[in-house]
Amino acid sequence: MRNDNSTSAAKTNPRLSLDTWAVLIALAAAILIRAGVIHRIPW
Amino acid sequence: MADSIALPQNPPISISTKFLRLIPGVALLAVIGFAGKLLEKNINLYAKSHHWTIPNIEYVLWAILIGLAISNIFGLARIFKPGVATYEFWLKAGIVLLGSRFLLGDVWKLGSVSLLLVFIEIAGSLAFMTFLGRLFRLRPKLTTLLAVGSAVCGVSAIIATKGAIEADDEDSSFAIAAILALGALSLFTFPLIGHALHLSDHAYGAWAGLAVDNTAEATAAGALFSDSAAKLAVLVKTTRNALIGFVVLAYAIYWASRGQAQAVTNKAAFLWQKFPKFVLGFLLVSVLATVGFFTKDQNTNLANLSRWAFLLTFAGVGLRTNFREMRLQGLRPFAVGFIGEIAIAAFTLALVIGADRLFHL
Repeated sequence: MRNDNSTSAAKTNPRLSLDTWAVLIALAAAILIRAGVIHRIPW
Repeated sequence: MADSIALPQNPPISISTKFLRLIPGVALLAVIGFAGKLLEKNINLYAKSHHWTIPNIEYVLWAILIGLAISNIFGLARIFKPGVATYEFWLKAGIVLLGSRFLLGDVWKLGSVSLLLVFIEIAGSLAFMTFLGRLFRLRPKLTTLLAVGSAVCGVSAIIATKGAIEADDEDSSFAIAAILALGALSLFTFPLIGHALHLSDHAYGAWAGLAVDNTAEATAAGALFSDSAAKLAVLVKTTRNALIGFVVLAYAIYWASRGQAQAVTNKAAFLWQKFPKFVLGFLLVSVLATVGFFTKDQNTNLANLSRWAFLLTFAGVGLRTNFREMRLQGLRPFAVGFIGEIAIAAFTLALVIGADRLFHL
């Protein structure tokens, strides 16, 4: 049997997942906008 | 006898090199997305100045079409591949930022209705796809992958399930190809059907979120109809994504009980591992917007940033769709996916029309 990541969910991967990175970067951008570092994002 | 054999080893790649490798592909996504935006604006201006009446082709469709043309006519050069693969990152970041456009009350109201619809959709889709897989005598694990892919959330669900049920690479490639091909098809058919049936923005958005399997395609299908439809498509699709862990866990337990996958020892950890974290980010930003953490202008900036992130995603959707590669995967899984998706689209359309009358989506 293959030793896939699902076989032991308790095993944790020290690297952050793509999901987590996306959340962190989006939140960082939100904080920069809130702090006034980024004033205007045109569309 | 030699003391040791020196095996050739690839040198480890530094983080800065990895980052540099992303730049050409991300730049390509940005150029295509921006070209789509320019095309929409300039074609409309040109038509207006010549007093022509032409249908407005949204930047979303232009970005997808340019991406499709590059991928299918010229092929995607290797240098662009790592960066283009980031389209899913932009999608998830865009969804988190989109939380600023939902007050918690909306999430609660629309989210609870969509949760009900999603439960019905998942149960119906899993049952129907399993029936079709058996009818067409597909391999059982391939049937599971197609069922999960069409019921929950496309490619990510297939990849999560593949690991959990220990399916073959070949089966998952078949399932992914079928889901991607059908996702591409839905981009062109769903908006036409929505307009033909005069669906409201919310009803259409709920339908796209329920019936289109991949999050990127569901968002694009919504955006091709209207901005408001895209918002609801993302909310409904995010609700579907949030349930991925439960469905994958159920299948992992089923296949383990048949001795064809390893048993899941820690179910809570398994659920957390499979849970899409961007759903939490989306809820957090929505809470912050609800409590007035951002001013009106800041909310507009967040929404615009979310649009830019989606623009890169739409370019990526076109670029990673290669019809030649999909054709090589064979006809039967595609036929099962095609029949199943048409049935699911019709079923969810009826569901949404009924819910719209009952709950006034």
